[in-house]
Parts: sequence; structure tokens; C-alpha cells
Amino acid sequence: MSRNYYELTYILNPVLDDEKHEEIIEKYTELIRDNGGEVDEVDEWGNRSFEYEMDDKSSGYYVNAYFTAPGELIEKLERALRISDHVMRYLTLKYDAKMMRHRDLQRKNAVPTVFVDEEDEESEEDED
Amino acid sequence: MIKNPSHPKKGQIKTRQCKFTKAGLEYIDYKDTELLQRFMNDQGKILPRRVTGTSAKYQRQLSRAIKRARFLGMVPYVADNLR
Repeated sequence: MSRNYYELTYILNPVLDDEKHEEIIEKYTELIRDNGGEVDEVDEWGNRSFEYEMDDKSSGYYVNAYFTAPGELIEKLERALRISDHVMRYLTLKYDAKMMRHRDLQRKNAVPTVFVDEEDEESEEDED
Repeated sequence: MIKNPSHPKKGQIKTRQCKFTKAGLEYIDYKDTELLQRFMNDQGKILPRRVTGTSAKYQRQLSRAIKRARFLGMVPYVADNLR
């Protein structure tokens, strides 16, 4: 049984109150744990407005989670997310070696920044 | 043309370099919308390689990241700049 590192982002219905959000997030976190997964981190980004309208809504409650789990879990988890009325969108990513290295850097807060030099200021001026 | 020192356009031609290769970034995260948006125009289109100078390898990663971010509503599919 292969175990992989996954990242899951899902968007909850913003209309619900915070308690309900907590409850739903807890439900999925439990689901991961119950099926032999190990939750690494659950990060709630909270309400964020969308760049375009999605299901007649202009904002959503974002949740970002990282976990290690056997591959069979993903099928179950995605099924649960698909069925739920409260989940608007979800995205699961399996991490490969490159992404793992990136994640390690993220943990250390050492992700290299792409725009640092004077070219940065130049392009900013162009935008204005 | 660029190698010829007496070429009239010498000095005007900017040689671009892939920003990701230069920074040593290995994976482009779809969550980093600020970065992604620098590689899009104000309509929300992905800028071509010939404009940004991104290498093919990173352009593929970049477009994947942008498309993931679009799906999650973090970056627009089309932005109408007539507001």
C-alpha cells in the first residue's frame, strides 16, 4: 500500500456560520484520520472573495490541508466532498519530489522569491 | 545579430532570462496569486513566453499553476477591465 503526501484545498459555502464551518472541517479531517491518513496541517484561510462568480456567489470559505495518506483514501474523500452540498470546489494534489522540496522550503520560510532585483521596480513602474 | 558589436540595434535588444531559473524556484505554487498575476495581462490571459522570457519548463508549470488557481477562483478566467 503506497502512502503519499497530499494537499487538499476546498471551498465551503460562505453563507454558513463559523460553527458549521468548524464542524464540516472537523468531519473531513476525521475522515482522513479514520482511513489511515495522517493530517499534517489544516489551514483555514477564511472568507475570500472570488475573482469571478461561482454558483451565484462572490466569496467562499477556503480551507487548505496537508496530509499523508494511502492512495485509496483519496477516492473516498473526493466522493464525500463531491456529494456534500456545502463544498463548492475541491482540489487534491499528490506531491512529487519537487513539490516536497518546495514544501520543505515553505516550512523553513526559505522559498526563493522570483522578483527581487531592480527589474522588479522597473516592471512595477510599467504597470502604473 | 546580437554577437555583432557594430550592429545598430546593439544595446537596444534586451536579453531576457527565465525568472524562475534565476531564482532557483523548483515548483510554482498555485496559491501564490501575486506571483501568478505578474505573468498575466490585465484581461487575465497568460502572457506568452516571448514576452516574459520564461523557459519552456517553467512556462508549463506556470500555466498549470494559473489554471489551478483559476479553478479555485483565486485568479480570474476573464477580467473585464471596464468597471
